[in-house]
Amino acid sequence: MKYLLSVLSLTVWLGFQVRADDYKASMFGIKSNGTTLNTNSIQKAIDFIHEKGGGRLVFYVGRYLTGTIQLKSNVTIHLEEGATLVGSTNIYDYNLSVRFPALITAYSADHIAITGKGVIDGQGRELANNVTDQVQKGILKDALVNDRSALWRPKGIYLRECKQVELSGIVVKNAAEWVVVCDQVQQLKIDKITVDSKAFWNNDGIDIVDCKDVIISNSYIDSSDDAICFKSHDATKMCENVEVRNCVARSSANGIKFGTLTSGGYKNFKIINNKIFDTYRSAITIATPDGGLVENIFVDSLFAYNTGNAIYLRIGARWNKGRVGSMNHITIQNMYCEIAEGKADAGREYEGPVEDLPRNISPASIVGLPGQYITDVTLRHIEIVYPGKTNPNYAYRGITPAELDSIPEMPAAYPEYSQFKELPAWGFYMRHAKNVNLDHVILRTKEKDYRPAVVLDDVQGARFTAMTLAEPGKKKKQVHVYKSTDISLPK
Amino acid sequence: MKILLVKIALLIFLSPVAMWAKDYNASLFGIKSDGITLNTKSIQKAIDFIHEKGGGKLDFSVGRYLTGTIRLKTNVQIELKEGAVLVGTTSIHDYVAVDGKRALIVAEGQEHIGVFGKGVIEGQGTGLFEALNRQIQKGYLSESPAQASPAFIAMSHCKDIRIEGLHLQNACGDALHFSQSQGIQLKGLAIKNTAMPSLNGLVFAGCVEVVLQQLFIESSGTDFSTDAACKTFTLEACKTAAGKLLVFGK
Repeated sequence: MKYLLSVLSLTVWLGFQVRADDYKASMFGIKSNGTTLNTNSIQKAIDFIHEKGGGRLVFYVGRYLTGTIQLKSNVTIHLEEGATLVGSTNIYDYNLSVRFPALITAYSADHIAITGKGVIDGQGRELANNVTDQVQKGILKDALVNDRSALWRPKGIYLRECKQVELSGIVVKNAAEWVVVCDQVQQLKIDKITVDSKAFWNNDGIDIVDCKDVIISNSYIDSSDDAICFKSHDATKMCENVEVRNCVARSSANGIKFGTLTSGGYKNFKIINNKIFDTYRSAITIATPDGGLVENIFVDSLFAYNTGNAIYLRIGARWNKGRVGSMNHITIQNMYCEIAEGKADAGREYEGPVEDLPRNISPASIVGLPGQYITDVTLRHIEIVYPGKTNPNYAYRGITPAELDSIPEMPAAYPEYSQFKELPAWGFYMRHAKNVNLDHVILRTKEKDYRPAVVLDDVQGARFTAMTLAEPGKKKKQVHVYKSTDISLPK
Repeated sequence: MKILLVKIALLIFLSPVAMWAKDYNASLFGIKSDGITLNTKSIQKAIDFIHEKGGGKLDFSVGRYLTGTIRLKTNVQIELKEGAVLVGTTSIHDYVAVDGKRALIVAEGQEHIGVFGKGVIEGQGTGLFEALNRQIQKGYLSESPAQASPAFIAMSHCKDIRIEGLHLQNACGDALHFSQSQGIQLKGLAIKNTAMPSLNGLVFAGCVEVVLQQLFIESSGTDFSTDAACKTFTLEACKTAAGKLLVFGK
């Protein structure tokens, strides 16, 4: 009884802790006029609340201009509806002494949150253009690879080595680079957020880097680069126990992307009931180009409309430094995907660049490396619809041994579904894969294609059950098997 | 011997140009890669600047560069790197003509000019055609739609032109238009010009010393045409969408 009482009192106390005090922004002299630079007063507020044991810093309707602020343990930033945190367009208002400059940062802070129905607007396009200007004047040093600054463009939210983090309800938009980044964060909950990331080049939506115990749910992401993106920057860490549920994403790159930088890897993922639309590259790309391990990825109920490609699984060897990347136990089930005939993201801001030409419509692909097989892949109840209308005079890859061998391995290339240019299949291309199960897979092309539906090259063990391969016109051999063993084709 | 002398003379003549030639990044001139900023004036400033400095190359990195008509000048080359897309604006009043022919890139009486790289020129032909038709209907343009429709490139009275490696898609009018020019080299281009009916591919009038290599041309009109004054054409592995080889004089 005494024990129970102490537990009860602890619970009450903890509950009290969680419902810590609210502090209005105005108490710290923070101005909502959109022109007063509030960096120092917002930071003072955060530090004060942190020292008092925690609480919420509440912003009411208005525009709050600021540079870099750093969240501290037990502090929540709460943005009421109509409140907008506005990023300064002066690069020197940001903390540039860190590897990844950002508008809102936190380092090794526990129990932090950004909540409410308000907005965080990075004003990224103006900011990025000002950065380029500073580099060209010689004030900031940057190689300007691809004619843009890579080092100095601030991210939107960058949280590192934090625990018990919650982002909910908010709208985050227009950073000069990736918009929401969580790096080595544990116990992360992202729910009902909106990410609008089309202000500049390389603008990912949500990046989850080497994080553990993550749930991303009920969120909407519209981005010029990858929308929901997992990365692994540290070879001794990995992304682990991650769930993505009920999200809708649009991207001028990939909808759901594992990579690129994949040093440690990804393990135990559930990606359930998500929608991807108007996406220039793949609905889902899982890539390990840098020696990372990929294991136990479970994708269920993925619906993709008007995307450039359906599925791309890839092992590469780019910055792996002798480590060998691997990919095992990938299950994708209950997926429906319609491939775009034209450019799926046409007309969007910062539309994706057209590359890897000449190339007809690309098939879904599973491509390992010689001796490095993508292993134990199950594709169950999948339907992919292609537009067809391909022209062999524009781009051609046949299925003779010489033509199949002419497809480069490209271990060091950036992993993207289009990287091999023209591929010899219209529906599915697999190379260097082991133990692949295709159960109730439907590949359909609306118009004729000069290629077969499926090409298997160096596939060791494949079972096709209840497969449908549909193309208008005369019946032709739709599955081509090359250098493969233990293949059981559909009857 | 005579050929050798010519070669040496050519080398001496060309080498200073090569030495002066410098590469300039597009961003130096405030050119934006966002696909929505109209860059006509800043690209033109870049070309004029490079021309005045004795020549060089204007580099476009991956990104989308919206523009109206730009005029190439002597000794200026444009490189569109892989992923760089030069996007034609859909407002007809942003285009100007040379020799009665509107185009996204024009040149008149210039020498040693080029546009090359693995990039793309996107004409937004459908949108542009709708826009120009509306202007004609309202009486702000006196030409017929076919006359007013901009090409990708129109060059007149030029010398030493090199266009190589690019993908050209969805013009509003003919793809490439050359008149009264000498020394034209087109190599490794893929032209898809089917945004509307009756759009031509390559149109030459009064051109000499023309080398066409490894071209792919898909057009909704005539893929390749020359007039009686065209002379000394060399064609090598140029094919149409149907896989037919292009032949001079047919």
